[in-house]
Order: sequence, then C-alpha cells, then structure tokens
Amino acid sequence: MRKRTAPRVSVTIDGRPARIRPGTSVAAALLEQGRWDFRTDPVSGTARGPYCGMGVCLECEVTVDGRPAVRACIERVREGMSIDTSAGEVGP
Amino acid sequence: MTQPTTIRTADAAVVGAGPAGLAAALELGLAGLRVLLLDEQSAPGGQYYRSPGPEAVREVGDHRPAGARLIARVRACGVRVLSGHTVWGVEDDRRGLLAAGPDGDPVIVRADRIVVATGAYERSVPFPGWQLPGVVTPGLAQHMCAEGVRLGRSAVVAGSGPFLLPVACALLERGVRVLAVAEAGRPYTPRPAALGALRFPARLVELASYTARLARHGVRLHQDTVVAEASGRERVREVTLVRRSDPRRVVGRHGADVLCVGYGFRPQSDLAQLLGCDMGRDPATGDPVPLLGAAGRSSVPWVHVVGEAAGVAGAPTALLRGRAAAFDILAARGRTVGRRSRRAVTARLASLARFNGLTSRLYPDPARLTAELAAGLPGDTLVCRCEGVTADTLRSAACLPGGSDVPALKGSTRAGMGPCQSRECGPALDALRGRGTGAGAVPARVPLRPVPLSTVLHLRAFGEET
Repeated sequence: MRKRTAPRVSVTIDGRPARIRPGTSVAAALLEQGRWDFRTDPVSGTARGPYCGMGVCLECEVTVDGRPAVRACIERVREGMSIDTSAGEVGP
Repeated sequence: MTQPTTIRTADAAVVGAGPAGLAAALELGLAGLRVLLLDEQSAPGGQYYRSPGPEAVREVGDHRPAGARLIARVRACGVRVLSGHTVWGVEDDRRGLLAAGPDGDPVIVRADRIVVATGAYERSVPFPGWQLPGVVTPGLAQHMCAEGVRLGRSAVVAGSGPFLLPVACALLERGVRVLAVAEAGRPYTPRPAALGALRFPARLVELASYTARLARHGVRLHQDTVVAEASGRERVREVTLVRRSDPRRVVGRHGADVLCVGYGFRPQSDLAQLLGCDMGRDPATGDPVPLLGAAGRSSVPWVHVVGEAAGVAGAPTALLRGRAAAFDILAARGRTVGRRSRRAVTARLASLARFNGLTSRLYPDPARLTAELAAGLPGDTLVCRCEGVTADTLRSAACLPGGSDVPALKGSTRAGMGPCQSRECGPALDALRGRGTGAGAVPARVPLRPVPLSTVLHLRAFGEET
C-alpha cells in the first residue's frame, strides 16, 4: 500500500497546478495526470507522446521553465517547475 | 545570454553512467585517478539502474537496489559525477568531448583516457499507427512502472526478445490489464537449441517465473505473432495482431490504450564512431559496433568502449566489461592490478558470452526480421516519424539511382534527418533501401543529440579565441 503522507512538489502543467511526487520524471508527472499529448508534431500537426523513455527519440520534448525542447523522460520535476506542452502548435 | 564554456580536465572521462560506466569509474576512482563521469540523465544509473529520486523510491520501492549501492560507492571514491550532461560531439583532435550541461551551457571535457559507455537503445520497427500517443517501447513502460505510474487501463506487449516478459509483469503489478503478449519468434517452444541454456539454470528460473506470473493472470503469450496496426485518434485505441508467418491471419484485435513494442536492443555506438574508432558489425545482429581488442580497447589508443555500446550482452556483462577496461587503463599507467581479479573477470565474461549466444539463437535474427516486416508495410505507413516519410516514398526513392545508399536515401527523402537522427527508423530505412539488409548502418553525425544553437555558438566563439 502506498503511503499518502509522502511529500509532494507543486508544479504547473500548461498553467494548471499539480502536485507531483518528488524525484519523478516530467514524463511520469504528465502521464500520471493522464496526459499523453506532450507536443504537436510540426510536420503532421498531430499529437505526439513519449515513445522511447530514455532520451533518444525526442518525441517527449516539452518546455520547462521557458526552456524549449526539454526531454520530459530524462528531466525530473522540481518545486515550482512550469511545464508547457504547447510547443509545435500553430500560433504566436 | 552569455554562457561561458566550462573546461574540465581529468585523467579519465567516462561517458555514460550505466552499469559499465559506473563499474569502470569505480575501479579508476579507487585507484586514485581523477575521473569525470558524464551522463545525460538527471541521475546516474543508466537505463538498467534507473530509478526515480529517493523520495519516490521510498514510496514506490526500488526494483534494483544494487544500482544505488554501486552509485554510492562511485561517489564515495571521489569520482566526479556530471549528470544532465549530454555529449554531442568531439573536438577535432578527437580527444576533447563537447557536451551541453543541464541548462544547455557548453562544456568541454579533456582527459587522457576516454571510456565510452553509452549503452544501447531499443530496436524499433515501424508499423501503421506507431506514432500514436500510447504506443511506447517496452523500456518506457518499465521506467514508468518503476516510477509508480499506471500507464493505462489495458495493454498489449509485442515485439521480440526476453525483455517483453518482465515488462508485461511490471504492467500487471501496476494494475494495467495485459491483454496479450506477442512474440515474433517461437522461443518458448522447446527445441534442441534451448537445452544448452540448462547450464544457466538461474536465468531459466527467472524466465519461468515471468511466464508463470503471466499465466496466473490469464495473459496469453502468442508466438509467431506481430503487430499489424495500431489505430485511434488522439491515442491508441485498438491493436491488431497477426501471424508473422501468415500476415493475413488475424490473431486478435484488442481494445488497448497502451501498446508496448520493441525488438531487443541496439548498441549506441555513435560516440565511438565520432571518436574515430574502427567499426565493424555485430555478428549476431548486424548492428554497427566498434572493433575492439582485449578489455574494450578500440583502434584509437586513448579510447575504450565498454558495456552495451560494445555489443548488446546484458548488464552482468556490462559491469565486467567496465571493470576489465579500467584494469587495462590502470595497467597501462603502471599500476599493478591483481592478476587473479583480472583473470576472474575474463573467465566470467566468457561464460556469459556462451549464455548470450544461446539466448540470441532462441529469438529471430533482428536484421532479417526487420527486413521481413519492412517489406510488408502498407505504403502509407510513416517510416520516419520525425520527418513524416512514408514507406511508399522510400520505396520509390530506393528505385532511383543511388537509392541503395542510406545517406543518399536520407538526402532525397529527408527520412532519418529529424531529431532522433534515425535511431528509431534506421533499421527500417536500411531494409527499404535497394539491396537493404535491415541492420541499419547509418553514419554518426554531429550533433549526436539536438543541442541549443546557443551552446554551439558559444563554443565556436570560444574556439576562435584560443
């Protein structure tokens, strides 16, 4: 049984607050929230999610604290982190 | 934005903090060398010993505690661990390593000795729908399960190789319903080749425990079965499995929101290539691997290649290869290394090699399987998922002059030129070119990983100053 007393870090995912287990990857944080659309593929315009989980496919790239193209699978969550999945979408 | 280039020097630089890199760094560190251990992940461990941070481990458990112990020993002996450092190129003299630090800051590492321990990654073969969210490699599934994530409601696990079984079990443990495990070969049908494995009962017991657990959960293990298609809109919803020997025969259609597909592992040998190591082909898989002498010595005097980057053989072998290379480096520096411990490493490596030979004979030859599956792909299948290049486009390009040459095929179609640098589609590209083999020999290119432009620019400015 999981202990529910464990600490949590506060992050925002596309502006919405979320409480995540510290030490987990950004990919795990998004998947735990049921989010599989990590980015929009600029070539096809379709949603893409994490694929390899080890930093070689680059399908899971998200924007972290304003830094673009961060591989969500090998980056860990930190208190106050802002995660943005809108990269590749058409717009400003 | 000025990010000064950091230059670090050491007696030895080890690239990759998986089992092989950790083992090498430990022996070198214990002998008193100044060692830098670079790794692109946020914490050491590589893929095999990867675990979430200590707080998460306390909550969800550590499935490989030996890794944490090894990492603690490496840190204790004075090895400088540089996590979050992605090595993406080498200096012109092939001695300095060009890296990007955690925030993309340029780092140059210069060391007397370089140990390449860059590991392996999973072999993918494209199929219709493989770009859909929810379709993942077995490795991703295992990592996410280790982080305590329940990936979905129901999953199909497919591909080839022994790794599919523990991944299916990990999914079950996290409460995901596993609808089927599909193995392309027929490894679990007893035949004479399998009997040789009886000399390694521990590994057999492990395999048997997985199959028993799957059976207990009522998971069907299909052999001679491959994925024909994954479909869905924003995420995979349905998976179609067919007979490999008769693709018109549907084995099952499953409503699944997770599909894990992988065909074993390929050595990640591109850094060794960039460093100028003479390359050959892995006799079992056809994958490009460095040509190595004893203890992982490459053709470049200051470079050793260890672990899976030297040829996929599993974590126990990787640990020993790392130690052997470290002993070799120490011996060359005039350090005395116990002959007994060196001999023990050599003997154990030989024994593991025999087991690996037997295991690989049980599963289909990956290059031939890739060629077979690629030949049967529907024309509109995305082969290169980065650049959106279909099987038909590649087949047409393969008929043109120069179409039997992978670089030319890349040039004419853009396939394999996206961010993954053909790590995912490489074997399929190789299979689809004229006279292709499916082994996927794609030359290594700089940068090995996409790096921020600013990193490269700052580096260049620096280079001009000196």
